[in-house]
Amino acid sequence: MDKPTYGYAGKQLRISLNNRKVTVENIDPKVLRRYLGGAGYGARILYDELKKGIDPLSKANKLIFATSPLSLNRIPGGGSVMVCFKSPLTNAWSESKCGTDFGPDLKRAGYDAVIIEDRSEKPVYIVINDEDIEIKPAEHLTGKSISEKIKMIRDELDDQKISVMCIGPAGEKLVKIAVAMSDQRAAGRCGVGAVMGSKNLIGIAVKGSKEVSVAQPEKLKEVIKKAMKVVRENEVAAGFKEHGTTGEMVPNDAAGDWPTKNWHSNHWGKAEKIYDEFYNNKLIKNHACYRGCPIACGRIAEVKEGKYKTPVHEGSEYESLSAFTAFVLNDNIEAAIHATYLCNEYGIDTISAGAIIAFAMECYEHGVIKKKDIGDLDLSWGNPDALPELVRLISMREGIGDILAEGVKIASEKLGKGSEEFAIQGKGLEAPAHDARSGKALAVAYGTANRGMCHIHPLEGMAYDSGKLDFGMVKYGLPDPNTVHRWDEKGKGKSVKILQDGLIIPDILSICKFFMYGGLNIDNYADMLSALTGWEIDGWELLKVGERVTNLQRLFNMREGFGRNDDLIPERVRKIPSFGIYKDEQRCAIKDYEGMLNEYYEARGWDLITGKPSKDKLRELGLEEG
Amino acid sequence: MEVKVKLYTILKKYGEGKLDKDNNISIPEHLTLQDLISHLNIPERLGKVCLVNGYPRDIEYTLSEGDEVKILSLIGGG
Repeated sequence: MDKPTYGYAGKQLRISLNNRKVTVENIDPKVLRRYLGGAGYGARILYDELKKGIDPLSKANKLIFATSPLSLNRIPGGGSVMVCFKSPLTNAWSESKCGTDFGPDLKRAGYDAVIIEDRSEKPVYIVINDEDIEIKPAEHLTGKSISEKIKMIRDELDDQKISVMCIGPAGEKLVKIAVAMSDQRAAGRCGVGAVMGSKNLIGIAVKGSKEVSVAQPEKLKEVIKKAMKVVRENEVAAGFKEHGTTGEMVPNDAAGDWPTKNWHSNHWGKAEKIYDEFYNNKLIKNHACYRGCPIACGRIAEVKEGKYKTPVHEGSEYESLSAFTAFVLNDNIEAAIHATYLCNEYGIDTISAGAIIAFAMECYEHGVIKKKDIGDLDLSWGNPDALPELVRLISMREGIGDILAEGVKIASEKLGKGSEEFAIQGKGLEAPAHDARSGKALAVAYGTANRGMCHIHPLEGMAYDSGKLDFGMVKYGLPDPNTVHRWDEKGKGKSVKILQDGLIIPDILSICKFFMYGGLNIDNYADMLSALTGWEIDGWELLKVGERVTNLQRLFNMREGFGRNDDLIPERVRKIPSFGIYKDEQRCAIKDYEGMLNEYYEARGWDLITGKPSKDKLRELGLEEG
Repeated sequence: MEVKVKLYTILKKYGEGKLDKDNNISIPEHLTLQDLISHLNIPERLGKVCLVNGYPRDIEYTLSEGDEVKILSLIGGG
């Protein structure tokens, strides 16, 4: 096995918050070749270092901030960092990716990863500046919003360019859907902010001055140039630039891919009106989350006046706005923009927040939550005024917000009275704004995703089924999406296995996945990785790493007690919609989910009853010892 | 016969010069959605969904005079 002289820093920081001990450790090159970085390297560390059954909000949990050799501004999609941890929302494996320059800056500081351990007695923030590591008091930052904290940290350090990732008031209050944010981008899902809060870690600032050494600089230039050309000529990438992800609201509504009224339907019919209002009157311009991004899908928006007045900010992407419109039946775009902005300032996940509010509205409709329990708040479907107020209550754990801050799974268990049926989640993670009734691969992807019911870690099934994107995977055995009907069920389990092994690669390389929508594939990444490291690595080896990491994350979850039952998806998600243009379309209902799951398990080499990876499969992947 | 065609986001450019100012287009009778998509030179590889008079239709659907057709590209992402 080659030494990672190139591409990697070869070092990681381990910071123990209880005794403020900072250690620089060398990383075993063999581990890097097998797990590469990001969600792969994080899985290896957490599997090895966390004990079974630990409380995710105790000092026993760890946070891994991981990069890869591709975490460079000049790599297409290179501006991300992956945060790995045991989730307080799901009690399962979790990873959460965040755009901006934080990842590349960590690399420039000379570290492939940072491991945060234990708990500080008092609030602190960490400053990483090459070899200088400081743990600074942060009591004065507590209670401040995300943007206030970032500004205060930068002012204190007298450095307006330093990358800062921090939590908001919600993270401090251990809200289970709390995020960590770098500028206006979030490591959003699964409660990373609560884990930081539990450690009294308010933020991390990072800058560096080092250049990573590259094995084949000329070759790297050539493969980057080739990849950039693909992206620049790609229609989908151009669409992201012009309309961001938000432009997907209209086609997704039409395709039955827009969960509406807490998943009572997959279609609302109001996306066109809502999006036109956003595009024509609220959108200011697009924005790149990291220096050098050629796609720049970010949206800068503003609500100029009125009760939902909201300053110029980055946000308003597809998932966030869908969660605060279709999920809750709200067609007031100003209220939706305002509520998502507040989520980003308090520091909670917009997807889970919208889903929790939809859950609360259904509880209210059925008398599970009563008016007398919530003051004057009117939780009727579509009431725009309820949105900002509920965001505040959840973020501050006030009133009903204290229960809702636990996420819909725990909240429904506490509230009872049949509200479990209203909790649309998988492994405890609230479902996002894509509907498996638009294409069946998404159902299997939702059920089997290791971090819970997620649309993009590792796979957006409908991008294959109805988007007809093959992600360059046909040569690796994937059926051509143009030969597959979106509502077919047979074959989807097997296809999801192949797609997951490929689409997890951007998570393992800690890079933006949208570049795969914009025409790049695992062969491009293999070329870049080879030029950076000097390894001879190809798409097949990347797929094997993808499979290894998927199985290791699975082993992590199985050690925590997860099994086949946790791979099921809610009954409502499988049923024919109760209203909308698909209500009579029998083909969109998911008829044999268990059959698709069996096919997936067979393709994975997992036991059909327990869902456990077979010994042969683990041996093949070099995971015999876990 | 005449149908009204509305194209969205990255598909808009395929209507330029073919649709009139009210988004109408004259097409032969008995044309299917698939035929219309080919007529507009919209690439087959792009995932899309078609609504006719507000309802989702398969691409084999045969169009009628006065139909209102919406063709939307599906990408995923976000």
